[in-house]
Amino acid sequence: MGTFLKRHHWVTPLALLTPGILWLLVFYLWPALQMFIASFWHGTLETGFVFSLDNWTNYPDAVGQFAPFYLRSVVYAAAATMTTFLIAYPLAYTIAFKGGRFKNLMLFLVVAPFFTSFLLRTISWKIILGDVGPIIGPLKGIGVLPQDFHILATPMAVIAGITYNFLPFMTLPVYVALEKVDVRLVEAAKDLYAGPWRPGGLIAGGILGGALMGVLGLVFGVDWAVFAVIGAAFGGFVGWFLVSESFIRVTFPLSLSGVFAGGLLTFIPAIGDYINAELLGNPSTNMIGNVIQNKFLTQNDYPTASALSFAMMAGVLVVVAIYAKVLGTEELSAAAARA
Amino acid sequence: MSTNDNLTGTPISRRRLLQGSALMGAAAFLAACGTKGTANTPSPSAAATVAASTGGSTAPSEAAVASASVAPTATPVPTPAPSDAPGAINWANWTYYIDVDPKDQKKHPTLDAFTKSTGLQVKYQEVIDDNETFFGTIQPQLQGGQDTGWDIITMTDWMAARLIRLGWVQSFNAANMPNFTANLLDTYKGVGWDPDGSHHAPWQSGMTGIGFDPAKTGNVTSLAAYFTPDPRWKGKTELLSEMRDTIGLTMLYLGLDPTQPTRDGCDKAVAALQKAKADGIIRGIKGNSYAEDLKAGDAVLVMAWSGDMVQVLVDKPGIKFNIATEGGILWTDNSMIPNGAKHKNGAEKLIDWYYIPENAALVEDYVNYICPVKGADVALKKIDPSVASNPLIFPPASTTARLHIFGALSEADETYFNQQFAKVLGVG
Repeated sequence: MGTFLKRHHWVTPLALLTPGILWLLVFYLWPALQMFIASFWHGTLETGFVFSLDNWTNYPDAVGQFAPFYLRSVVYAAAATMTTFLIAYPLAYTIAFKGGRFKNLMLFLVVAPFFTSFLLRTISWKIILGDVGPIIGPLKGIGVLPQDFHILATPMAVIAGITYNFLPFMTLPVYVALEKVDVRLVEAAKDLYAGPWRPGGLIAGGILGGALMGVLGLVFGVDWAVFAVIGAAFGGFVGWFLVSESFIRVTFPLSLSGVFAGGLLTFIPAIGDYINAELLGNPSTNMIGNVIQNKFLTQNDYPTASALSFAMMAGVLVVVAIYAKVLGTEELSAAAARA
Repeated sequence: MSTNDNLTGTPISRRRLLQGSALMGAAAFLAACGTKGTANTPSPSAAATVAASTGGSTAPSEAAVASASVAPTATPVPTPAPSDAPGAINWANWTYYIDVDPKDQKKHPTLDAFTKSTGLQVKYQEVIDDNETFFGTIQPQLQGGQDTGWDIITMTDWMAARLIRLGWVQSFNAANMPNFTANLLDTYKGVGWDPDGSHHAPWQSGMTGIGFDPAKTGNVTSLAAYFTPDPRWKGKTELLSEMRDTIGLTMLYLGLDPTQPTRDGCDKAVAALQKAKADGIIRGIKGNSYAEDLKAGDAVLVMAWSGDMVQVLVDKPGIKFNIATEGGILWTDNSMIPNGAKHKNGAEKLIDWYYIPENAALVEDYVNYICPVKGADVALKKIDPSVASNPLIFPPASTTARLHIFGALSEADETYFNQQFAKVLGVG
């Protein structure tokens, strides 16, 4: 047996790959192929569907009609990815470098929500954010918020829901990357006068925080100027007190691979998500996933639904390819570390 | 205006009440997330019918009457087998839709009595939580002329109409169903999509009307409220994601007839709804979850289903339910026998079993909806008078007079209505 395996080098990898390949063939490629075929159908449930390559027009028709929904999905997913990053990075940093003996407990707490169903977690947000719920209710009671204020049924609720649900997908890769950072490199940098970075940190943090929060404010549809000022103040504070040159030059570049992976793991599922929009949004916050669901199940318009799904997959592939090209992990972090 | 009956004044008797509507909604979503599939291995059915769909168009009435004979090739029409295949009768129904033994949630006394009486086994499964999702699980088999694994399926009017239109359900053998023939209430007879009533047997009905929190809104008796930007409910009003309920009530508000739905009426209703959205009145368009929002105070005015209201009342007794002065929608879930069913005779006997008023009364004592069986109220008075006098379950004649059944739609019209309604839902 041993000699057989030695003589035929391809046997072991093939045997190891077989379960995975079979799984993908049966549960991914086959349905995807079916859907691809369905996207070239024409007809109705009653008359039956007919396949013809002439029906390629399903694609431009569907994408043209529903372009605003694609755009909204991209914007919401991007905003959620950004907020996820802003929350997850300090969290992962703290666990990796300051966690001490609580490291495992903290990591467990990050993934603990996964022990509950995705749906129940989202529904529980409805209770927390309810118009007369535990947060908004008392604030209205003491007059801080106007009576008709609400977070549910707004874009902010949808993005916040996505952010919450995908937070571990960002936290864990970033943590893994930070965990691998060799502390000796940071110490060496400090020895070489890469200490606190007060004025630079203040300015960079202020601009970055202001810009990020301003954009988020625009997306949320709230007063973006207020958001920008809050962001700038917070960014400046963080930059002044917390950011050191060793972090900018060593730690952060070395963690970029984790940020890259976390970004993908958050953005891709977020763009196809429809549960958060369904549960937390209103009729003007529906994403492309809601459209596809309605087309498939309610309208029985399988061709259009398939075309929309496939166009989305293709679109995500393109976005990911560009993202990988621009932020390609190894080269980028290497270049940043050299700089 | 003076005789506007508030339907929710009555106390509720002992009954298993759904407290977890949120969980129910969650289950529906879960089901919606899943891929299509069915627990039953489809097997080619020798005896039964050939699905009509592949053969091209047949007139709806033709398809309805002769589901077994629409195959274009002239094979001899297969008559129902005199005896069924061995094995239990498979019944797909919605959750909390039949009586349960208070000591053992898995036991259904009326089903056990059926088995004792006829010797036929029944496999009762609560697998339906959404018409469209369930349709997705049986559509491939029916389209391919195969057995779905089900002998009885329970679908809402419009889905029943679609299945009958497609020729995917079988006509009943009246000889097996004397009680059904005798005891179906007249209101349920002569529907447009199954004029002779030979393909569907109503299981339970419900009313769609106005649900509201009178402490916030005052008494609401007119559908005009959904279209009036009154600060008391502006931004706290929810509509139903079931097209026929929301479009139907809107048509009633506009003075149009939902029993005769037209594209023109649909357009007018959609325009009115879009205006209500633009005016900021509408917070959301929901399925079951509107009940949770009403309880939580996120919504104060909703379009509501009568059965849900019985449950909401337990948690929040102040909530009210009115059938509007303009009218309400009556809908029904119906038992049907899909093509290829292996136990057609048994299924017919089982459907008929529940048209015996005493059996229907036992079911009604547990579920919260309206019973289509003559004499069930009389039978129920003997075992549980408080339920028999609950106007949400046995509505008075003054209420039923204002109820309308949404009319049948051709496939082309159904597509049109759904496309237009998708705009209201915000997905079109």
